[in-house]
Amino acid sequence: MVKAFTQEYVYKHPWERVTSASYRKFTDHENRRILTHILEVDTLSCKHDPISKKLYTTRAVTVHFPGPWFIRKIIGQEICHCIESTVVDAKSRSMQLSSRNVSLQKFIEVEEKIRYDPHPDNPSRWTVCRHETNIHLKPLPALASIAEKVEQRYVEKVVKYSATGREVMERICTYLEAESREIRRL
Amino acid sequence: MGPNREKKGSHSSTSPCANLRAAYHNCFNRWYSEKFVKGLWEKEECISEWQKYRACLSEHLDDKHLSRFLEAEVVVDPAIQDDSGNPVDGASVGGRR
Repeated sequence: MVKAFTQEYVYKHPWERVTSASYRKFTDHENRRILTHILEVDTLSCKHDPISKKLYTTRAVTVHFPGPWFIRKIIGQEICHCIESTVVDAKSRSMQLSSRNVSLQKFIEVEEKIRYDPHPDNPSRWTVCRHETNIHLKPLPALASIAEKVEQRYVEKVVKYSATGREVMERICTYLEAESREIRRL
Repeated sequence: MGPNREKKGSHSSTSPCANLRAAYHNCFNRWYSEKFVKGLWEKEECISEWQKYRACLSEHLDDKHLSRFLEAEVVVDPAIQDDSGNPVDGASVGGRR
């Protein structure tokens, strides 16, 4: 059973600022009070290709596993490890993130792809974010009768977390904008 | 990487690498906003911060799902490919080859 859906959002900020915010979203300490499902974020690798000028980063994101108590009882764990891979091309101004869980795959596979590109109507000032999510709940006998409900619950969680994530991004963009104004003033 | 059960909302990080991580992430975020996106990408930066942080991770990152992604001399993540579909390897931000 696979659920796939796409969310699109426009940030009225330039691509450089939005992508900076994307890297800070999970690592800035003050955001963790809001993004309570994020437990740990570690950078595992960071490579800058000198020929293509692209930046490749891999991060480990450990999340608190959302679900009702009986789901957690079946799975036996409360946390899930995810790997987030990012490719940034500063020359063509594109950023692509791909995130998937690498633990609990016997139970569920969640894959997310996020792209940040300059908005076609206002490429120097706005950024469009396109966020695709694929949720694949594995056909476990223990969950057969409630699989559809569990799947729907995950979709709701993803939508909720995405909305919170966007709020955090907007906040960071506002902060970065103010900071750059302050620097220009000095 | 830590116990299986963690309290929801516990944000005082239990990671022994937390301070080194914060130092690296702060350096990286500054480099990204002030240099990389402006096309100033000639010089390697955050080298010392990365080496200390990575050394701590290689000592403490014991989760098998994650440790295989930790940067070695050559890092190839099959999920990351260049335009020809080849896995990519390149110069590091903060790491030496």
